[in-house]
Amino acid sequence: MKKKVLAVMLVMAMGMGLVACGGQKDEKKEDTKTEAPAETKKDEAEDTKKDEVKDKGKLMMATTTSTEDTGLLDYLKPLFKEDTGWDLEWNAVGTGEALKMGENGDVDVVLVHAKSSEEEFIGNGYGVERFPVMYNDFVVIGPKEPIAKTDDINAVFTQIINDQLPFVSRGDDSGTDKKEKKIWTELNLDPSADPNYVESGQGMGATITMADEQKAYCLTDRGTWLKQSKDATLKSELDIVCEGDKNLLNQYGVIAVNPEKYPELNNEGANDFIEWICSDKVQKLIGEYGIDEYGQALFTPNAGTDS
Amino acid sequence: MIEWLKSVISDPGILSAIEVTFTMAVCSTAISSVLGIMLGLLLEKFQFPGKRIIVRMNRTLMGVPPVVVGLVVYLLIMRRGPLGPLSLLFTIKGMVIAQTLIITPIICGMIYSYARKAAPGIRVFAVTMGASRAQSVLLTIREMRREIYFCMVTGFGRSISEVGAVMLVGGNIKGRTRTMTTTISLLKSQGIFTEGVALGILLLVMAFILQWVCDMLQKEEEQDENY
Amino acid sequence: MRITDLEKTIGKFCLKVDDLYIEPGKIHGIVGPNGCGKTVFLKTAAGILKPDKGSIDYEGLTSREITMMFQRPYLMDTSVYQNLIYPLTIRKIKPDEAEVDRMLEKVGLLGQKKQYAKSLSSGERQKLSFLRALIFHPKLIMVDETLSNLDPESEELFEEMILEVQKKEPVTWLIVNHQLDHINQICYQIHHMEKGRFLKS
Repeated sequence: MKKKVLAVMLVMAMGMGLVACGGQKDEKKEDTKTEAPAETKKDEAEDTKKDEVKDKGKLMMATTTSTEDTGLLDYLKPLFKEDTGWDLEWNAVGTGEALKMGENGDVDVVLVHAKSSEEEFIGNGYGVERFPVMYNDFVVIGPKEPIAKTDDINAVFTQIINDQLPFVSRGDDSGTDKKEKKIWTELNLDPSADPNYVESGQGMGATITMADEQKAYCLTDRGTWLKQSKDATLKSELDIVCEGDKNLLNQYGVIAVNPEKYPELNNEGANDFIEWICSDKVQKLIGEYGIDEYGQALFTPNAGTDS
Repeated sequence: MIEWLKSVISDPGILSAIEVTFTMAVCSTAISSVLGIMLGLLLEKFQFPGKRIIVRMNRTLMGVPPVVVGLVVYLLIMRRGPLGPLSLLFTIKGMVIAQTLIITPIICGMIYSYARKAAPGIRVFAVTMGASRAQSVLLTIREMRREIYFCMVTGFGRSISEVGAVMLVGGNIKGRTRTMTTTISLLKSQGIFTEGVALGILLLVMAFILQWVCDMLQKEEEQDENY
Repeated sequence: MRITDLEKTIGKFCLKVDDLYIEPGKIHGIVGPNGCGKTVFLKTAAGILKPDKGSIDYEGLTSREITMMFQRPYLMDTSVYQNLIYPLTIRKIKPDEAEVDRMLEKVGLLGQKKQYAKSLSSGERQKLSFLRALIFHPKLIMVDETLSNLDPESEELFEEMILEVQKKEPVTWLIVNHQLDHINQICYQIHHMEKGRFLKS
């Protein structure tokens, strides 16, 4: 008897699994083929005032953790869909991995922040053209003692090395990590001279948490820091100890992956995205993002410049 | 291929990751085995109210996602957590605690189901032979040694392959708490796949060697007794 | 051995022994239909099952001097030899190797001495279990149908060995049998059981 019940349950579970899979497939088909009637129905229902924007399918983007961690992408996604009909999906990883995904043709477009790597990416023929989108800035966070707040990154980093203060680096070859390494090099400082300098090998959020836990210093982008210090369950005990230095600016660029390398990619969607994100309307939205929540903008738009 | 593996293994960062992995896995397997075997055998032997619930909880814990355990341990040992003063966060000790919590229920549950089949017969036999309580327990363990080996190897395998809890609690700090699995995870996030694959192969080879050593031990013991 | 007012209930089955005297140093047979409680009685008498009520007076025997053999004996996960000397091992007695070999020889297991015990056939397993029960010289031996379903040759062998033991130093045997078993012939007394009770003989 028990066995029978078990068998019936198993069959039911399998059946449900199959139905669920089938359902997904059907939805996808609808997305690509039979979207027109659904669309008209929706339009009628909503009594729409806008032009008809059709569902066009999926656009895959590789980007850095900061754009996701700050919530910018979640904010832009529905607007992008509304304006162009593309469904934006993304993989938020380090800049190194994001570019690698582009090189492998796993994504249609990349949005990252490491100018020299981006130029190399295009130089190797994987990307079409780089468009600057916006910048944010980095800050050094840490305990108030012993480093007093300043706008001189040189002073801060020198003191960290000289006093062997704890510092948590990401060490994951991400854009932020590259930025940090670049600053050390430019200041002619060797972080390995500090035994309390550790590499977390994790994303920005995890690294900030670790710094907080260890009462250590850490270089982070302002957006992630603002969001994290506001949203974290436990209030962070760290503060910004250095901001405003010109060494701390962080430029984002967007690049469509070269369709000549990977013809099956969604180049149309990628170009739509680039055009859209660089448009005046969206640039203005980016410039306003975060003011409501954090009292300051997280990104400064600068499309059309040569940054 | 061999050259490539050699070059990967001789990297000091990788060497340290292997060392950390083994230190952690040996410690957590040892502690979990002692706890798990003891608890599993006790659970089988004694009848008490609420036993069914305990067994069910054990089964649930056997399948608990390691990250959840990692999170709980993190909250316990973080600076502002109840065990904060012990400074266990981002240390191998902390990782061993998390892994012990993951592996002990697995070993306990496996031992319990094996013991349910084997132990009653062994106990009756021990009584008919006039064995004392301690001798009866000893005999049960001896008779179940194959299952116990198997549980321990399973535990060790879980330990070296686990990444979620180790990442959370250990923090993946280079040269200190970075294990082979978290190295793979980091390499992947950097878009470096080849070395990640090499490390993966290395992990597989280790698992194979372990299994093999275990088989050898068992065989040798059989031979020892065959005089 | 005297058993008084013994009661043991397992599910619907109830074993009840008002007063039973087992004369020491003799071979006792217990017969009765299937499910009449022979095994439960033996297990209770051997101390494997705890009685709900009543008492068993072993007349000075300790639990270390009592053993029981099952129809399907438990063999340890090791060699025939290790299995055989286990009762000595736990008593920290050094086995008399010549005696061990002689015993094995007698039942035809000497060749399998070093073999893995679980590779034995069921008949060989019973022989090994029989030797293992004798090797530590218990004073009370209970046998649960081990001696049923044997081929005539083995049956004769077992009978011979039981009688040999009795000649040297009399032991109390409680042997559960089938009604028509040959072994009943060597029994001093046959106790009949039915529905959990002993019939007055």
